[in-house]
Amino acid sequence: MGKSFRLGLILLGASLLIVALFWLRNCTKNDYLELGADTAIDATPTQIQSIKAIGEWEFLSVSLEELTDTVRKGFFSDDELSRIYYGTLRIGINMHQVEPGWLEAEGDSVSLTLPHVALLDRDFIDEARTKPFFETGTWKPEDREALYRQAHKNMLRHGMTKENLTAAEDNAREQITSLMRAMGFRKVTITFRN
Amino acid sequence: MKKFLIYLLGAVFVIIGVLMCQGTVVQESSDGSGRTADYRGVDSLPMLITQVRKCSKLYTAEYRVHKIVTHDDVLRLKGSVLQREFNIKLPLGDRKIAIPIDAKLKAWIDFSQFSERNIERRGDHITIILPDPQVTMTSSKIDQQHVRQYVAFARANFSDAEMSAYELQGRTAIIESIPDLGILETAQANAAKVLVPMLTAMGYEEHQVTVAFRKHYDAADIQNLIKMED
Repeated sequence: MGKSFRLGLILLGASLLIVALFWLRNCTKNDYLELGADTAIDATPTQIQSIKAIGEWEFLSVSLEELTDTVRKGFFSDDELSRIYYGTLRIGINMHQVEPGWLEAEGDSVSLTLPHVALLDRDFIDEARTKPFFETGTWKPEDREALYRQAHKNMLRHGMTKENLTAAEDNAREQITSLMRAMGFRKVTITFRN
Repeated sequence: MKKFLIYLLGAVFVIIGVLMCQGTVVQESSDGSGRTADYRGVDSLPMLITQVRKCSKLYTAEYRVHKIVTHDDVLRLKGSVLQREFNIKLPLGDRKIAIPIDAKLKAWIDFSQFSERNIERRGDHITIILPDPQVTMTSSKIDQQHVRQYVAFARANFSDAEMSAYELQGRTAIIESIPDLGILETAQANAAKVLVPMLTAMGYEEHQVTVAFRKHYDAADIQNLIKMED
């Protein structure tokens, strides 16, 4: 009697344990735990600081990618920061720099005296588009500013070549001639002033 | 004696720790003077890609815009236990950052396809029909001097990758705000300021010249006229 009672109790306990395990499994099958933070920026306004009328005529654009890095030597290991900057050099003529009498038309002939092609804007890097490439250690804003300046310098060196300036001037001549022909002039003379 | 050795070892570790934190190494210089050499030089690896394109774009309007990108990085423990959802803000886990961005937006008119079809003459009157102006973000600059961040004791500093991701989101937000800025209307008005003097120099009187555009643009048109460079 005592033996079978104990066996019954064991069986009942085991059954309850199995049921409890199934219930627990069912209850916890969608359980998860994660540690994280939101990555979206807050909504802030975009403010207009200035509006300017310009007359920049672009004839050649040079898009550049510049991998720039800086290294700081440490006792055991070095810290490194590498970033890829993107920029577009826009080469052309600033129409606000033409001098009085720059365009003279007579009959079907037109003569234009234009300033030389040049870099239209020295702000040409899209820094907000910069891609981080590699970072070890802690870097200050001054270090990033130094990298930006270095990328700016390198892009100017690589983009403002004699070949690109010549190509821009040739294209300016071609495009302006085409525009003047569309206006009805047959003979177009273009001079770039010194 | 034992105590002295322990103090000595401790002092050596403190000195090594300070040197590591400074990121500066005392190194014998080539002239043997033993000066401190600060290795904070900036180098540049070769340029990756150059793309050169011929074009004929007349930029007529420039907008300088400013945006402060902010991000509140609160560390949270999220989960579900026994079908009960929870989302707990962890103490000492706050990080905040503010990144000021200055950007230049320019509106331009494409003259590469300009031909006789863009010109209408009626008697001594000339009408120039210009293609739709388009908008490009020509540059953006992070005001590094005014970037501000607060990092709680238990958190790591913002990494370059995290900051770049916020800056990119800020750039996208600026581009999305272009339709509200009215830059296309300004570009249209300014185009006349460049073209009319050119036509008067050709012999036309100002009242004989009309610079016309296709139509008035709505928000959907403007979205199509925004040119991204990525």
